[in-house]
Amino acid sequence: MKRVLILLLALCAATAAFAQGGAKTPVELRFTVWTGNEAHLQMLNGIAAKYTAAHPGVTVKFDTIPYDDYPQKLVLQLAGSNPPDAGWISEANAPAFVAAGNLADLTAAAAPYDLKDFSASATELWRKGSAIYGLPFSTSPLVVIYNKKLLAAAGAKTPSELEAKGQWTWEAFADLARTVKAKTGVYGFQTMDGSGYSDNLWATLVPMIRAYGGEVWNGKGVSTLDRPEAVKAVTLLHAMIYKDKSVVPPGEQADFFAGNAAMTVSQISRVSKLVGADFQWGLAKLPKGPAGDAQVIGQAAIVAFKASKNAALAADFAAFMTSKENVAVMTRFFPPARVSVLESESFTKGNPNIPPEAMASVVGAALKVGKILPNHPNFSEIDLAARACFDRLWRPDADVKSVMAAAARAVTPLLK
Amino acid sequence: MKRTMRRSAIREELFGYACVAPQLLGFLLFVLGPLVMVFVYGFQSRNLLTGRVSFAGLANYRALLGDPLFFKSLKNTLVFTLGLVPLNVAASLLLSLALAGESRVNSFFRTVFFAPVVTAAAAWAIVWKFLLQGDQGVVNQLLGVVGIAGPNWLLDDAGAMAAVIVTRVIKNLGMNIVIYLAAVTNLPHELYEAARIDGASAAQRFRTLTLPLLMPTTIMISIITMIGSLKVFDHIMLLTQGGPSNATMVLVYYIYFQGFKVFRTGYASALATILFAIVLGLTFAQWRLGKRLSYQEE
Repeated sequence: MKRVLILLLALCAATAAFAQGGAKTPVELRFTVWTGNEAHLQMLNGIAAKYTAAHPGVTVKFDTIPYDDYPQKLVLQLAGSNPPDAGWISEANAPAFVAAGNLADLTAAAAPYDLKDFSASATELWRKGSAIYGLPFSTSPLVVIYNKKLLAAAGAKTPSELEAKGQWTWEAFADLARTVKAKTGVYGFQTMDGSGYSDNLWATLVPMIRAYGGEVWNGKGVSTLDRPEAVKAVTLLHAMIYKDKSVVPPGEQADFFAGNAAMTVSQISRVSKLVGADFQWGLAKLPKGPAGDAQVIGQAAIVAFKASKNAALAADFAAFMTSKENVAVMTRFFPPARVSVLESESFTKGNPNIPPEAMASVVGAALKVGKILPNHPNFSEIDLAARACFDRLWRPDADVKSVMAAAARAVTPLLK
Repeated sequence: MKRTMRRSAIREELFGYACVAPQLLGFLLFVLGPLVMVFVYGFQSRNLLTGRVSFAGLANYRALLGDPLFFKSLKNTLVFTLGLVPLNVAASLLLSLALAGESRVNSFFRTVFFAPVVTAAAAWAIVWKFLLQGDQGVVNQLLGVVGIAGPNWLLDDAGAMAAVIVTRVIKNLGMNIVIYLAAVTNLPHELYEAARIDGASAAQRFRTLTLPLLMPTTIMISIITMIGSLKVFDHIMLLTQGGPSNATMVLVYYIYFQGFKVFRTGYASALATILFAIVLGLTFAQWRLGKRLSYQEE
């Protein structure tokens, strides 16, 4: 009997010890991102490793979902009781996610990390009342990346040279593309990631429209795509594609990063694709237009999901990732929204592939005056409706004015 | 004795049920269950993003009556089906007749026509996207040789629809050829011999013998191909994403858009219910019609 009692006691003790150990079971946070770039993931894993060192037992797994499918897959995972713990959200989807209420409030978690250091304009999109649902880790302006070899072969000045002389306008941009095409036979311009007529439609149109003094929609829920400024800007783009034939046209493939176009509009995170390229390249701000300097910024933030089983830990990790120290690390690919980092050397010297003076005069300068890409809670529907109209623009005989009027008519009802 | 027999019969029956149980369970869980849920969701206002659900009655069905994109997708689906089914059935019938005999050349071409069936849909679409490019596309360059200036296929309304139909036909032709080949091989030779003796020409033999004898197979192939074309999704998603200007926006792609792009799952479910009714109705009608047209041996 005694033996049995001892055995039972031992069993109880063992179970208790096991249960206690269970409370400290390792936690793996799943963090969704849309980059599959090795260099980006290596950097992110480095930050996660620091967090693990400070929080033993907590590891982070970065889960890549392609950008085009990102919002759908995220929502399906959230609705399907398989929510990620934390992740990235882009500016286009920010209003929808913030309004839907499935993001965790990060105010408390970010409190130790000097929240005031984020510029107010950079966090505007992510705030609702006194809560903050996303901490921007990338505030990346659209820039012009150009191929020096092709421009030299065409005997043309580089965008940076034109910029220094104050002659860097969209007209000059069109001239440059035309010259390259005429002299070398290679396209002068490729739209962002080669998908400027579909997935990156707004990144193609907005920089030109804003530089001409237009906008895609106003704060009163009215699309202004039909205004003369917007029409003028898009007319120039249309002429570049179909009259000058200097732009990689819709439905055709020619990659800037492989040396098959002289210029592209992109973000500095794509510069890592140029490591090992057989041509020299440079960076310039977006050209000016009749309305002056209109730089455009793409933004992305780190969020934690309310439905996560480890929501508090996920919020803590989101705040940790956007600490001054880690934002400084991420400047290598993603320009910061933290003022202190933006003003420090870690920003200008952060990207080994970009000379410090270009970081300051191109990226830094664009960030100071830039305005974020369009966004709206109803963005997906607006995007579909607008794209259906703009599909009519991508043909040689298109009537730009009537296409823009149709687009405005289609978008306005969706802004309510 | 009787009792033992009944017992063994029951045991046999139970064994039978046990054998079909896994399949039945899968069917209930993954086919019938979701089907019923789609019908229920159609009467709800559901948003996948916000997670909000409320009873909506017939609101979704009323909304789709005023939705121009629904009617456009319905029209596109019909155009796609009417273009694809006759083309597919006619081509697979003619090719199966041509490739019926046993020879090396025939075996080679059977393999050639079947290869697209086992090719991944994504790879198929990517290759065709290259082939169908504007000025640089192989298709247009070939057309240029004979003096035809082809459009930028996937960016032209009519061109895009034609392109998705034809590329889809080529992709799935092989399967129908195989089904037809089995039927063609079993055609009774004595009838053809008798017809030949009676002086029937090849065209007459085709019209009065081959076509009627193959009618049951043709009906089955038409139904299968029609259902497949009404439910087309991957091909559209990979080639045109419903564009240009919604010219290839078919019903299933529109359901996907409503459900998974703008997260209106209630509305998407109502659309899916309509599609279900259409497929069911058309299949039934085709089956009834086929029965009447089919040659039956008394």
